[in-house]
Amino acid sequence: MRKRRGEVLDMVLEDLKKEHPDAISVIRLNGMLHSDDNCATKEIARQLCLEHQLSFSKMASSDDNTDFMIDMLRECGLAHKTVIFVLEEFDLFAQGKQRLLYSLLDAMQTLTSQAVVIGISCRLDADQLLEKRVRSRFSHRKLLFVPSSLDGIQRLMEHLLMLEDSSLPKNYVTEYNSRLTSIFGNKKFKGILGSLTDADATTSNILRFLFRVVSYMDMESGLLSMECFTHALSCMQRQPKLDSLQDLSILELYILVCMNRLEDKEQNSYNFNSIMKEYRSIQDAYKTSDKYATTVCFRAFEHLLDRELITFADSKGRNVALEYRPVKLLISSRELAQSLELNTTCPAVLQKLLDRERYM
Amino acid sequence: MSQPVTPRRTTRASTSAPDSPSSPPKSRSKPSPRRQLLAAAAPDSPSSPPKSRPKPSPRRQLLAAAAPVPATDDNPLAALLEALPGRRAQARDLLRLLAPAPALPVLLHGGAATGKTRALLLALRHLRLHLRPTPPLVYAALRSLPSPRALFASILSQLKAPSSSTSSRQRVPDKPSDFVPALRDALAGVVSQGENVYLVFDNLEVVRGWDKGGQLVSLLLRLHDLLRLPQVVLVYVSSAAPDAYYTMTGSVEPNHVYFPDYTVDEVHGILMRGQPNPKLYSSFLSVVLKPLFRVTRRVDELAAVLEPLFRRYCEPLGSLNGVPDEGIRRRLYEHLQPHLAVAQNETFSVPIRASLDDCKDGISGGKGSVKRQFGGRDGLSSELEFHMSVSAKYLLLSAFLASRNPATLDAALFDATGGTDSRNRKRKSSQASIDRKDTMAEELLMKGPGTFPLERLLAIFQCITSVSEDMLDEVECEDTIMGGSGMNALMSDVLLQLSTLCNSNFLSKSRSCPLEGSGRYRSNIDEDLALKVARSVSFPLSKYMYRR
Repeated sequence: MRKRRGEVLDMVLEDLKKEHPDAISVIRLNGMLHSDDNCATKEIARQLCLEHQLSFSKMASSDDNTDFMIDMLRECGLAHKTVIFVLEEFDLFAQGKQRLLYSLLDAMQTLTSQAVVIGISCRLDADQLLEKRVRSRFSHRKLLFVPSSLDGIQRLMEHLLMLEDSSLPKNYVTEYNSRLTSIFGNKKFKGILGSLTDADATTSNILRFLFRVVSYMDMESGLLSMECFTHALSCMQRQPKLDSLQDLSILELYILVCMNRLEDKEQNSYNFNSIMKEYRSIQDAYKTSDKYATTVCFRAFEHLLDRELITFADSKGRNVALEYRPVKLLISSRELAQSLELNTTCPAVLQKLLDRERYM
Repeated sequence: MSQPVTPRRTTRASTSAPDSPSSPPKSRSKPSPRRQLLAAAAPDSPSSPPKSRPKPSPRRQLLAAAAPVPATDDNPLAALLEALPGRRAQARDLLRLLAPAPALPVLLHGGAATGKTRALLLALRHLRLHLRPTPPLVYAALRSLPSPRALFASILSQLKAPSSSTSSRQRVPDKPSDFVPALRDALAGVVSQGENVYLVFDNLEVVRGWDKGGQLVSLLLRLHDLLRLPQVVLVYVSSAAPDAYYTMTGSVEPNHVYFPDYTVDEVHGILMRGQPNPKLYSSFLSVVLKPLFRVTRRVDELAAVLEPLFRRYCEPLGSLNGVPDEGIRRRLYEHLQPHLAVAQNETFSVPIRASLDDCKDGISGGKGSVKRQFGGRDGLSSELEFHMSVSAKYLLLSAFLASRNPATLDAALFDATGGTDSRNRKRKSSQASIDRKDTMAEELLMKGPGTFPLERLLAIFQCITSVSEDMLDEVECEDTIMGGSGMNALMSDVLLQLSTLCNSNFLSKSRSCPLEGSGRYRSNIDEDLALKVARSVSFPLSKYMYRR
């Protein structure tokens, strides 16, 4: 629930700044960028310099920066200014040695400094990731942001979509709003909302959904309709692997079916040569028209690897030729069976080879 | 809740206004004379993307074409959809998702050769046509960038104003922590003038293979949050599915647009474009496309194999201008059929010029010569296509034998005189030995070629070269290289040849045990190639190969 946390924090900080101008300085760090200690101290020093109109030298070493930070904290404390450190992606700071966290929290322990460290994270157990010495300096105050209920989400949607601008023509605004209210009251809409939030009820997902809904708006009339919502929902609920399976050629499907059969026969590991053996035995048994040379099959095999429907089972074998490296399927048998059924050009023999294993 | 949300709400209000940039062209007013003058004064950009042959357009050309040209026709939307066959839905989706700004990031995904980059660049060109000043497009072609540093340099240089001369002062950032603030500053400079910036990352999946690629990918996907600049529209193009990019952290997921592969009819339409004789080509495609489609659905591969086939197809015809009727069509099909069968069983490689000319001049009769000619193109020939020195060939053969045969067999195969023991001892195969042979066959399938130490390789090499020497002495060949004194020349640069073969990946070096001394090697070539090499030096390889 990143959006809400970050924005609530921003709101609070804005309010505080208005209440107490000049008494607060905010230092922002992000775990994605500044998880390395040297980068972090450099960034802290840079932001401190920026806040207090000091010149920042890029050549300063990490120790210099740390000393500078400690000095600044002391000075700010003496001047009764609070320094607020906002650490986003807090769990990424907890990787490695946690030197930065320790030095920050340690610096706060001195009597003269007035500093607050606020960490924002997606992980519920972010504080469990801390080392003992860091955790002992942590105040164990956690604020949990829970995803909102269905009603809350609906209210959010209404708030976002309803027009209140007076710059647009009045009758357009009233028609738009009335249309929207009727949609919100519709039972189908409740179903759509339920299906959306079952998968992911975070605000960012709702925003993405609403963006899509608005993008489907009818350009002529400028009004939203139920189709916009249903279209947007179907776009959000695509399954990439099944889509990918629909795009395969017949030979590639043959390879997948052979691999499925090998996995069924409880072969723990198999490689391209074993797949070819299975393929040839199928061709001999059924005498289909789809018998191709090994090089062609290998090209199809490489296509499957590119699409990430199969992958190598060993991550280290670099010295072995591709035909000998063990592979495994990345799709389930059920997905494969489902896609074969949906495929109109699929030969019946493939279905038969798979159906024997009763996956549907 | 009100404050952070309001900016978005005005956005939606602005997109819901009927005069948003993506409104259909019919409601757009004709450009005023002044605008036309301005447009005429705009620097000439290269012509619209080539619509002729279905060769994939070079991306540079597309990029240049993505620079907006003055609108010359009344319905640019129709022109856009015309230029993207089979991609109507995706083009509309793109226009819908990219047009309003601020826009959420967009991820285009689909298989290879499905037209993602092309559709994106054409759609962006269409969008940027109507906006003045033209919003800048920053394109990061990740496939051609070797490292993160190159990526940062490429993006920052595209954003810098050309008049700025301070580029020498600023170093290219090495780490993401330096890059993001630099990017933010560069972008802030651009968006302060109120225009959008489109930032495109093409082939995002290659970043995963870079050093620390995982972190960089999640960083790139989070740029929307890190930059906090609403006028920057981020677009990612990837051949990997979105599943590959899910991270543990809650990031703003981009909107997905999926590009499915083309269907048979769409491929038919694409290949028909720009053909000088549509009727002839369509009769050709109607017999050829469906069988080849069963093997692969990629347009680029199909185009590569259809070209020589079409030449074959037209051979009986005098000129390429006629419209074939039923009888002619049947004749052409019969002429093509053997070639089609051969072509289906070969990988679709692009032929080199020289062999193409050979094909043209070659005799076109009989299946045997057909096979040879087609084979010469695609590598299934009986001849070796590249040159190797004789000693390298022998070394390769010894490596193949050493990998393939178990070490215990060496004594039997290579006795003191270097000849083979030609007495085939026929043993009655018992059930146990049959089972053992089966398991060994399984093992060979699974494990691949075995490793051998250097000494064994050199020993086998010495044996077979002395064998060849003997054989050629019998034949009394005049070839000076194979004369007695030449043998020393063969032996002297063996180690040099060995390192060459390793570099060319014919041999690979396995991890060597520190107790054993010299390293172990493994041969990487398959039986076909070994037989070809053996044939080229007239070496009876099959006599030495271990048969299970």
